Amino acid sequence: MEFEYLVDGAVRKVAVEVKDGLVRFQEGETVFEAEILAVSDSELFLSVEGAGRRILLARDGDRRLVFHGGREYVLEAPGKAEGASFQGEDGGKEGGIVKAPMPGKVIKVLVAEGEPVRKNQTLLIVEAMKMENEIKAGRECVVRKVHVAAGDLVDAARPLIELE
Amino acid sequence: MFKKILIANRGEIAVRVVKACREMGIHSVAVYSEADRASLHVRLADEAVPIGPPPAAESYLDMEKIVRAARRTGAEAIHPGYGFLAENAAFARVCAEAGLVFIGPTAAALELVGDKVRARQTMEKAGIPIIPGMKSAAASPAEFEKAARMLGYPVIVKASAGGGGKGMRIVEGEKDLRPALEAGMREAKSAFGDESVFLEKYIENPRHVEIQVLSDTLGRTIHLCERECSIQRRHQKIVEETPSTALDPPLRALMGETARRAMEAAGYINAGTVEFLLDRNRNFYFLEVNARLQVEHPVTELVTGVDLVRQQILVAAGERLEIEQEDVRQRGHALECRIYAEDPERNFLPSPGKIRVLREPGGPGVRFDSGIFEGWEVPIYYDPILAKLVVWAENRERACRRMAAALDETVILGIKTPLAFLRDVVTHEAFLAGRTDTGFLARHFEAWTARPADEPGLRLALAAAAYAETRAAARPDRGKAGQPAVEAATPWTSLGRWRNGGA
Repeated sequence: MEFEYLVDGAVRKVAVEVKDGLVRFQEGETVFEAEILAVSDSELFLSVEGAGRRILLARDGDRRLVFHGGREYVLEAPGKAEGASFQGEDGGKEGGIVKAPMPGKVIKVLVAEGEPVRKNQTLLIVEAMKMENEIKAGRECVVRKVHVAAGDLVDAARPLIELE
Repeated sequence: MFKKILIANRGEIAVRVVKACREMGIHSVAVYSEADRASLHVRLADEAVPIGPPPAAESYLDMEKIVRAARRTGAEAIHPGYGFLAENAAFARVCAEAGLVFIGPTAAALELVGDKVRARQTMEKAGIPIIPGMKSAAASPAEFEKAARMLGYPVIVKASAGGGGKGMRIVEGEKDLRPALEAGMREAKSAFGDESVFLEKYIENPRHVEIQVLSDTLGRTIHLCERECSIQRRHQKIVEETPSTALDPPLRALMGETARRAMEAAGYINAGTVEFLLDRNRNFYFLEVNARLQVEHPVTELVTGVDLVRQQILVAAGERLEIEQEDVRQRGHALECRIYAEDPERNFLPSPGKIRVLREPGGPGVRFDSGIFEGWEVPIYYDPILAKLVVWAENRERACRRMAAALDETVILGIKTPLAFLRDVVTHEAFLAGRTDTGFLARHFEAWTARPADEPGLRLALAAAAYAETRAAARPDRGKAGQPAVEAATPWTSLGRWRNGGA
């Protein structure tokens, strides 16, 4: 089977074939084989060229999380990359929809619909885990719509404010 | 000795107290909000009582509900942990009125040291060196402005009731004072239920050195040497250690004795910490008393061999401390790294969410005080601390290596954590050389990013992911056996020559 991942903006295509306890990977011209020593839903122990490699795996929606060698790799689904919205301090860099930088609770909305805002003006304050986070405008623009009010719980996907 | 103790807290510290109780043969009672029904402290305690909705003000800060839970379960004493009601004098009083023992200082001592303004006055009178600052909280912004001008900028806004960096703001000039006061008061209100703040002269880049003190009701007060907590971000400690590289035996003895005297002056009983700022010229200034068990208490435990929670419980039960001043010895070196749910690559934004994979470190000299488990959802409502990784070794150099190895071994997938960041801190040349002060992170770790992925490592990650996808795809019957259904078809599949008809 063949799978595509998005890593740092580049699409990577990996083919994989399993046979007799061996797994064969191919990406373009690069091929390598590994022996499957042990496997569970979250852990994979491979022997690659004689060296044991312990790999931990998890899935978070459209993101595949992989950890090995003291480092985490985040592999995304192609076409579902981050960056389609404006988060946190980059809010509204190119206009559009401002989303929360993390799940939390709206503490204060500082702008109203139709109001012009300056670059770096604080649009609203979202609190999570007892820390207040100011969400600022990335450029000069006008507030088109405000979707939330103080006290609302928000997740990272929900639009908070629309700018034009 | 008590037969049953209620723990008025959550997370790793509640787990820590449950474990101490278990060792002492004491039954433990957990309390939990609706957001914490499945939390680790609830699972581990002998009993658990629900105390209301997720916001802390309606659960962990609701004294009446907690006292009612203690009465209903027949608990004789309440351990408050740190944060929430730990330093709340009114709560200590409510406990006493209900016939419950508050495991901590008396209400009067809490009132004295918990109010930083009064604490400073007391310490000044007792001859303890203090930082120049306001003598009391001001009533109006104009008064704050006047006080700030007298102290000279930079000044720092602090919550009268607080700690842990909550409500704190450094102010460089007058135009920033009012917004800093407002934000500080809001944070103080939400964290402690008390919005009063005051101003202090800001001393740039000191070391943060604190002394652990224990005292019993039989008149003995001892100190257990220092902890250095200079590695701070937004006034929040993230790496702590003992001994401090800045102290030699005479300075240690002087600071220890000063802390002991400070606690005696305050009429303080039980475990507490006296925090000092230490400047480059070895001058130290009283900062505040932390009238509670502290987050970083394990480093002291590892180096002195004293179980602080056990001593707290003994003292509260009216018993004698098990250790005398002349028996206190520092052996080896201990380091602690705090593991928060936060993203070090995005300005340490909080990162609540589900922990999908967890692998805890282990081995000789490695301690992992944790409030989490695999599959648990970290709630948005509380402090982001997940766990504390603490190591001990014969000397500082080995402790740093052990910490780096243990950090590498720790795996938390699903939420962001600062594991890689912490590893870079404890292996940094300046840290290894002991050149630590409160400006360390700003100086060396501004705009930190993880080292870039190397191509072989990334290739192996891609290969492992693809293999995991084939495994998931090969189990179409998984939902039928009553197991959780496989999450929606993998989004990474593309048609290719390896695909075959059956899949």
